[in-house]
Amino acid sequence: MLNFIWVIMIFAGIVTGVLTGRTKEISDAILESCVNSVELVITMLGAMCLWTGLMKVAKKSGLVDSLAKLLKGVFKFLFPSIPAGHPANSAIAMSISADLLGLGNAATPLGIAAMKELSSLNNDSALASNAMVMFGVINAACIQLIPSTVMVLRQQAGSADAASVMPCIWIASLVSAVSGVIAAKLFERKSPERRI
Amino acid sequence: MSFISNLAIPAVILIIVLSGFIKGIPVFDVFLEGAKEGAMSAFNVLPVMVGIIAAVSILNASGLITILSNLLTKPLSLIGIPPETIPVLLVRPFSGSASLGLFSQQIKAYGPDSYIGRVLSTIMGSSETVLYTLAIYFGATNAKDTRHAIPASLISSYLGMIAAIYICKVL
Repeated sequence: MLNFIWVIMIFAGIVTGVLTGRTKEISDAILESCVNSVELVITMLGAMCLWTGLMKVAKKSGLVDSLAKLLKGVFKFLFPSIPAGHPANSAIAMSISADLLGLGNAATPLGIAAMKELSSLNNDSALASNAMVMFGVINAACIQLIPSTVMVLRQQAGSADAASVMPCIWIASLVSAVSGVIAAKLFERKSPERRI
Repeated sequence: MSFISNLAIPAVILIIVLSGFIKGIPVFDVFLEGAKEGAMSAFNVLPVMVGIIAAVSILNASGLITILSNLLTKPLSLIGIPPETIPVLLVRPFSGSASLGLFSQQIKAYGPDSYIGRVLSTIMGSSETVLYTLAIYFGATNAKDTRHAIPASLISSYLGMIAAIYICKVL
């Protein structure tokens, strides 16, 4: 899928740019993007170390397991293929709680760690498993209790009550998450996990 | 509200470190072990980031988004989608920085407490940069074929964003 989308994005962008005479802007943007991505990874590097390190401590202390136990019922429905007691359960539990708390930078490394656990359950195959796709979809749906960035920007723009949109945000997130789960479950049936 | 969000990170760290200490785990050694793994996966993600961010910045610089939003204004206003929200709707799933930039410009222009301002805030707060999130997560694994991850996420993202437009009318 990315193979296709990537080509479309580049093709559409460059053709439009040539037609509208924005080739200089595009060349600048390409060069700049390389610097930006390295900057982003470097910025993330510290947070990655910190949170995967803390995650390891939480795992060894049994904290994560108790969290995973709390979410057991939900997990059975969303990720039926993960065996009970597998480390993937706790990794997902950590990642989702970081999402909910709006920990931003923390949520990404924890999500990556969880995805790696799911991938190892899938024998590190080149074809994603149902559980991996479901986890990706849930993360892309952005379940967040405290959308801090938006609140800050609203305040800066002079909002009288920045937090007043929180209920709207919760409902919209819920709509997004539920429709994502339904879509993923429906697609699962259409395209089986293993190809013959 | 900001007190709770400010407390979240320190509280989580404190709970983790203390519970490890109480269980008698060599907390710092274990932390280092995990931190090393974290550093490795950050580097694995770099090539993915370069690819995605390059493609997104080509799109942004080309002006295609502006052209598309102009084209979509009429059909989308028929189903009650305000034209002011179309650029953000188009950009949001693909570029975090571009949509945040647009968002901060627009809430200043329309006012954060106006209907448009509230819709835009709801869209930004309830959605994620789908393409980037999926690319990073799957990029850290061997899975080249992500199957229905992108279509399902885009469906979820757009249903959430369209819901935002109607929810703000009611609430």
